[in-house]
Amino acid sequence: MKRASDAVVGLVVLVVALATITAITWARQADIGGRRQLVVAHFRDVGNARVGNAVVIRGVVGGRIQAIELAPDGWVNVRMRLDPAVGLPAHPVVLLNESSLFGDWQATVVDRSALPADDALHRAVEDASHDSNALPGTSLPGIGKLTTVAGQIAGDVASVASRVGTAFDDSAARELRSSIKNVADLSATLRSIAQEHASDLDTLSDELRAAMLTLARTATSVEQTAQRLDSATTSDQARQLVDNFDVASIELRRAAVQVHDLSRRLVATEGRIDAVLANGNSVLAKIDRGQGSLGLLVNDPSLYRRADSTLAELRALAAALRANPKKYISVRLF
Amino acid sequence: METLTLALAEVGSLTRRGFSAMGASVRFAAGAVESLRDLRTWPGQTMTQALRLGVESLPIAAFIAMFTGIVLALLASYSFTGAVPLYFVGTLVEKTVTLELAPVLTGLVLAGRVGANIAAELGTMRMTEQIDALETLCYDPLSFLVAPRVVAGLLMFPVIVAAAMIVAVASGWVASTALLHISTVEFSKGVRLFFQPFDVEYGLVKSASFGAVVTLVGSRRGLATEGGAVGVGRAATSAVVYSAILILVLDAFWAVTWLLGRQAPS
Repeated sequence: MKRASDAVVGLVVLVVALATITAITWARQADIGGRRQLVVAHFRDVGNARVGNAVVIRGVVGGRIQAIELAPDGWVNVRMRLDPAVGLPAHPVVLLNESSLFGDWQATVVDRSALPADDALHRAVEDASHDSNALPGTSLPGIGKLTTVAGQIAGDVASVASRVGTAFDDSAARELRSSIKNVADLSATLRSIAQEHASDLDTLSDELRAAMLTLARTATSVEQTAQRLDSATTSDQARQLVDNFDVASIELRRAAVQVHDLSRRLVATEGRIDAVLANGNSVLAKIDRGQGSLGLLVNDPSLYRRADSTLAELRALAAALRANPKKYISVRLF
Repeated sequence: METLTLALAEVGSLTRRGFSAMGASVRFAAGAVESLRDLRTWPGQTMTQALRLGVESLPIAAFIAMFTGIVLALLASYSFTGAVPLYFVGTLVEKTVTLELAPVLTGLVLAGRVGANIAAELGTMRMTEQIDALETLCYDPLSFLVAPRVVAGLLMFPVIVAAAMIVAVASGWVASTALLHISTVEFSKGVRLFFQPFDVEYGLVKSASFGAVVTLVGSRRGLATEGGAVGVGRAATSAVVYSAILILVLDAFWAVTWLLGRQAPS
């Protein structure tokens, strides 16, 4: 009986111990028999990579990080355990990067030709290529760094927007609208005056032409009268000469009235032109005093410089985004 | 003035009795350790106790672990859906079971089964004067009765807890694949992702301390039994209550002394 109980206890202990060891070995993914290949990579910084993180080749998990050790001269060696069937690229480079939003990292083995087009990344890989016994590697910025960069970009945009807002605030917008309205009014007034002036000039020209014709006719009449007066001494044409003088005087009176009317219209036109010039002078005076957007732009060099600086920053930001969009936007999920 | 003096005397009496009980328990534990020197007596009883306290407790421990694993997987899935990848179900089941639930739940269950069993058995022996007979025959009760139980508890609790860990993770895996449509690959990925051997080591060491406490408290309450059958029942009850309290206190103690400030090893 005692021996039987001993046997049962021993059997249970052995079975549970064996099951526990097997479970731990499975969970640790231990390399029994040492069939897996070991690869060492060289890094300046391993970020948040940890022992046990996956080693990914062409998107497939081909092993695990076995150890992370500090090396001389500021380097970090990462030992990776790869499955026996996994083949490395011709010129392998190891990138440490986040594999999910939850802080998991992984080691991605890529060919050097497949590296992202990033000068800093290429420099880091070149820097890590000095050790022939280890693969070159570098760590990519994590979500935290990307978030920081995005925050900086957002700050820059906010700064630009703030400067734009400062340069074109509500007051500036009102003044700009007012200035535009003034210019529009001025333009309308000028157009109206030009139209009226053209009409007056046409009328003036017509009346001058009529007056000239009248004068010509009068001169002709005077000449005829003189001729007749010359011959009137010998005939009874004196009466006709007097009549002709009457006609000429009537026509001269009419021409004088027309000239008087014309001069009156010219005075009115001159008044309108004075009003237009006064409006123009008012606008120019506002501009000269620095009122309104045009006045601010003309009289405040700092505003111009701020606007110019803002445009320069926008141009630089746009150029940077065009040149290297992955530097600013690189989000990977799992 | 007299009332104040009586109150102070009562406080002093309570304090003295508390320290006295604590001192008696410590002396008892020290005596049990001391009795391990008597190698002629206790090893022969240890396997029998290991069978009774350990092996026979495996079914109830496995039963509890099985349902713990299932419920954990379902709870994890309920919490993670839509926000966290479902392979973390495996991670949560493994971490929670190995670090906390398997040792503590199994310890509490065994406090009821083993602690009450020891207290009732030794209490009955005390009431029927069997212990007096042992002393008459020059047997040290601590060597003959307590040490085998303590050693058996110390050795078998980790075995039971290890089995409970395996059963709980396995049942969590079965629940995940059958009920949650999580593939075996995903579940095992979650289990392996953050697994550290320390998790198991921590749980097993903790469970060994639970085993020692449960058997020591049961033995102490049993040997101190007074008052016949009622006393035996009271001893069994107090053994379960004190064991459960001490298990939780020890759980916090290990967490503070071993887990606090410790990060997952890299």
